[in-house]
Order: sequence, then structure tokens, then C-alpha cells
Amino acid sequence: MNGFTLWFTGLPCSGKSTLAKRVEEILLERGMNVEVLDGDEVRKNLTKGLGYSKEDRDTNIRRIGWVCKLLSRNGAVAIAAAISPYAEIRNEVRASVDRFVEVYVKAELDSLVERDVKGMYKKAIAGEIKNFTGVDDPYEPPEKPEVLVDTDKETVEESTDKIIRTLEMLGYVPTVEGGNEYSPEEEEEIKTRLQDLGYI
Amino acid sequence: MVGLDGVPHSMITRFMATGVMPNLRDIAARGRITEMTVTLPEISSVSWSSFMTGKNPGVHGIFGFTDLHDGTYKQSFPSFRELRSETMWDRLGEEKMRSVVINQPATYPARPIHGVLVSGFVAVHLERSVFPAQYLRTLRDIDYQIDVDAEEVRNDPPALFRALGQLLDCRRRLLDALWDEEKWNLMEIVVTGTDRLHHFLFDAYEDESHPHHGDFLDYYRRVDELVGYVHGKFASLGYEKNFFVLSDHGFCRTKKEVFVNAVLSELGYLRFTKPGSKSLEDISENAVAFALDPGRIYIHRRGRYPRGSVSESEVEKLKTELTSVFEAMTDGDQPVIRRVFDGNEVYSGPQASRAPDLLLVSEHGYDLKGRVAADTAFGERRLQGMHTWDDAFFVTLRTDLMPDKDEFNLLDVPPQILRSLDVQPGNPSEPKSC
Repeated sequence: MNGFTLWFTGLPCSGKSTLAKRVEEILLERGMNVEVLDGDEVRKNLTKGLGYSKEDRDTNIRRIGWVCKLLSRNGAVAIAAAISPYAEIRNEVRASVDRFVEVYVKAELDSLVERDVKGMYKKAIAGEIKNFTGVDDPYEPPEKPEVLVDTDKETVEESTDKIIRTLEMLGYVPTVEGGNEYSPEEEEEIKTRLQDLGYI
Repeated sequence: MVGLDGVPHSMITRFMATGVMPNLRDIAARGRITEMTVTLPEISSVSWSSFMTGKNPGVHGIFGFTDLHDGTYKQSFPSFRELRSETMWDRLGEEKMRSVVINQPATYPARPIHGVLVSGFVAVHLERSVFPAQYLRTLRDIDYQIDVDAEEVRNDPPALFRALGQLLDCRRRLLDALWDEEKWNLMEIVVTGTDRLHHFLFDAYEDESHPHHGDFLDYYRRVDELVGYVHGKFASLGYEKNFFVLSDHGFCRTKKEVFVNAVLSELGYLRFTKPGSKSLEDISENAVAFALDPGRIYIHRRGRYPRGSVSESEVEKLKTELTSVFEAMTDGDQPVIRRVFDGNEVYSGPQASRAPDLLLVSEHGYDLKGRVAADTAFGERRLQGMHTWDDAFFVTLRTDLMPDKDEFNLLDVPPQILRSLDVQPGNPSEPKSC
């Protein structure tokens, strides 16, 4: 089985981890080997000790990218969910991984401040946290992501479906039941209908 | 947008002129009605997939109601999941616009869109025909039906007309329910009863002395009422100019059925391992071509099919030979095939390698079939009407968006609908390979 890297990028609280988790579940159901490298988790081990300066952020992303490369070249699906704010480093990772799919998880800052599940935006706006992406640190959106999901407008289900369909279209993920979504009973019913209307 | 499945331009203009469809006549009078061809082959699943994506089958990957599972001769029935291109609803979703889509053929099982999708033919279970699932209750509450029971009504005209009326009623109930419940930018409703009626009773349209000619016209009066109703509701919102009506293919009376595989067998192009076989699964390695419905001819290529024997260097010669065979085919002194298209001529895109090598377009009346079991080239018609590649129609009030040309195709329509909403066709998140 050929591996690939699915890279979620977007502002804090935009929905990267939620979507990564949901995509992971679907790919596991389809018999693929999947590892999720979630930004928050990674900072507790692989990149422990790194801060939020540009240099440290770049190092963080390079390390995640390196692990993704190893995983995907060995047939696994590596899913990275990290803010990864700088285009240059994302592109560096893209260049180092053979099969790289970038998902831009887009959401407007206003709605992220409203969501603020971790209470971080409030603190950043109040100046209690420094170097917070989207508030006092820049975020450079991807120019040509393979998938763009808008979590302000789409449900988790809609966004997930868009990602899975793109992976299917790229041929990275097998379609359900070898390409056919019908049960044997549905297939029989469809065949009868087509015969009744003279189509087959 | 109102879709009228399988309604020919020649019929609709006649009904507009004779007062059967006054609402559509008034709408078209303020805009434009045009005849158009559709994508090939001229069947609903292909046409509607082309409509919803704005792409030819070489991109969206739906070439018929049936196909073969990759690397086998086993028949498959492509589902909505196998559509390989994004839809106009996806495109609108990217611009944060919502679509409500009612009874759209070729969208089963329903998948998420930015809005509401209720699948049409070949939808089987209501539970898998609606997104989001919360509207399943609505569908049940309004006694929504997907289609007529063709087996039950095909030989019982009064039952057919009753069922067709009920279908129109439940589509309208759903439209009413979703119109106010949902915030939407595109509302789409497709009437498919027209196609069913034509298959079973097209003779009742042409023959004024037919016992059900009046019923046929009455049904169209009801279709016109629905068109007028939708347009009236829309106009009351103040946007009436962005109103479109179209069909996905034309229709005509069937004279005879034509069995393409029987022609190929008779001339030695198609052979089977078992005499009298009824399945392509018994195709011989000596076979060089076979057909799938309606007139899709595939060269039995080495490498593409398990028992394929034709090398790439032989393909073009064989295509030329088969083109000559079908162009010369007659029924008495009547030509049968109007045109033979090369697959390369009509399909382009990442899925084109799965496309048929040749496409037959018949003269009106000769209904092409890919059935393997037939022994003779011609057979008696089983149904009264058949699809046509030409004679589809399109009505628009946005004449400013019509391309400046004389001949129109179904693929000219979706960009106009998107532009009417100030959305440019094309999708930044579509994979580069598409």
C-alpha cells in the first residue's frame, strides 16, 4: 500500500484536530495504517522545549514533516494537524514528501474568537499570550492547497467528505467496496429499474 | 432552476405555441428558448453528471448507467460516489452559497453538499437519498416518493398518470417545505415523470387519436403549473431574472431496437467462450470489440481487459473499420446510424482513458442497446420512446449570459447558472489532475 501525507494547516481552533481525527477514523475503517501527528501532542514529546519564535516554529514543522516523510514512504498515512503558519516551511515539507496533500482549514478570525475553545484568543487579544498566530503573529494561507475546507460554513461531515473525495480522486485512498457503494440488494433493485425503463 | 427530464425542444415549443404550457411560454417570451445537444451518451446519468459538474465525462467519469468493474467483465452501476469532479453546489459552497437540490438524478447515495440534497433516479432507499439526514423526517411527513414503480404502471396508463400526478404533488410539497426552512442561493427541482411518460406513452403525444392523448397534454399542463408556481414564488423574492429551465436530453418515438453487440457478433468482432452466452464475462480472447448501453463501443485492448487481445498499434485501424461498418448500416433503405464519434473527439480529461473508443448516435427511432443476449441486429420496440442526443432545450431569462454562438450544448448551461450568482466556474480546491 502506498502511503501519503495529509497536512492540515490553519489558524488555532479552526478545526484541524477534529477533521484529522474524523479522517483518521474513516481511513482506518478502509484498512489503512494511519498515524496522526497533532500539533498539541507533538509539542509534548517530539518538539518538547521549542517555543513560538519563527525559528522554533520552523523547527517544529520541519520535525513533523520529517516524521511524515518516514511514515508515508513506508506505506502509512501520516496526518499532520499543525498551525504551520509559514508557507515557505510548508512548501519545504511538501518538496520532501512524495505524496503530499495540503488541506487548508479556513475560518474567519471573528468566528475563531467566538469559538475560542481553549480561551487562548481572549488571552492573546488581552496581551497575556505573545506570538499568537492570527493575533500578533502572522499566518500565511496556502495559495494552492489540494483541499480548502471552510469550517465557518461547512459541517465536520461536509468537510470530511470533501477531503476523502479528493483523496479518492487522487487515487490515494481506495473507494468503498472497491468503487461501488451499493449493497447487493440495492444493486439488484437498480438493475431491475434500469431494465424496466429499457436502459439495459 | 427547473429540470424537465427528457423533454424535447420540439415538444415544448409546440406545447408553448398551442397553449398547453402558457407559463413557460410567457417566461421564454421574456428571455430565450434554445435547442441544444447534450453530452454523450445521451442518457440521464451522464447528462445530469455533466450538468452538475459542468464537465464532460472524460473529467467526471460517468459514462453510463452501467460500466465494468476495473480489470474485469463484471457489470457495475456507477454511483454518485464515483463522480470524479466537483459539482456546481460544491463550487457555490466555496463561496458560502447554499444549494437546495430536489430530485436530482445521478446523486445516489446522497452526500454532503453545502445545503440540502434529495437524490433522484436511481435512488433506492429514502434514508440514503437525503442530506442532511434531519430532512428524512420531512420527506416522510410529506409522503415523499422517489419515482413511479415502473413495473407496476408501464402497462396501466391510468395508474401511470395517477402516479405521475402524485410525484408532481410531492415534489411541490418538498419545495414548499424547504423554500422557507432553508436559506439558499440556488434552488433546483427536477421533474423526472416526463421521462417516464415518454418511455411508456410517447405514442400518446404524437397520435392525437390516441386514447391517452388528452391525459398526456393534461400532465404537461400540470408540469407547466409547477414551472409557473416556482417562477412566481421566485419572482416574489425579487430575483426573477435568474430563472432557468432545461432538459437533459431529447426524446422521440422508437421504431426498432438495435442490438450493437449482435452486429459485432455477426461480423466476427465479438466472440464468446460459450455459445449463446448472455454475459460479457464469457468474452473470448478472440473478441476485438464489445458494446455497453446504449451505443458505447470498446476495443478489447490488451492490458486494459483480462482477455484483451488488441494491441495499441491495431486500435486506430480497427476503429476506422468499425466506423465504416456502422456508418453503412441500414434498415431496408433507411440509414440506422447518424454519426459515429471517436471517443478521443468527445472526451478529454483524466478519466478519458476509461471512455468508450467509439460512440454511435442513431437516427431518430433506432434505439441502440448493448444487450449481449440478442441474436439479431434489430428487435421490436419494448417501449414507445427513446432518448435523443439533439433536441434538448434550455430556457433562460439571463440572455446576457448566453455565449455568442449558434449551436448550444448542455455544457454551456452550468457556467451561466454560476455566473448568474456572480460565481466564476472552476474550482481552486479541485485536484490538479482534474
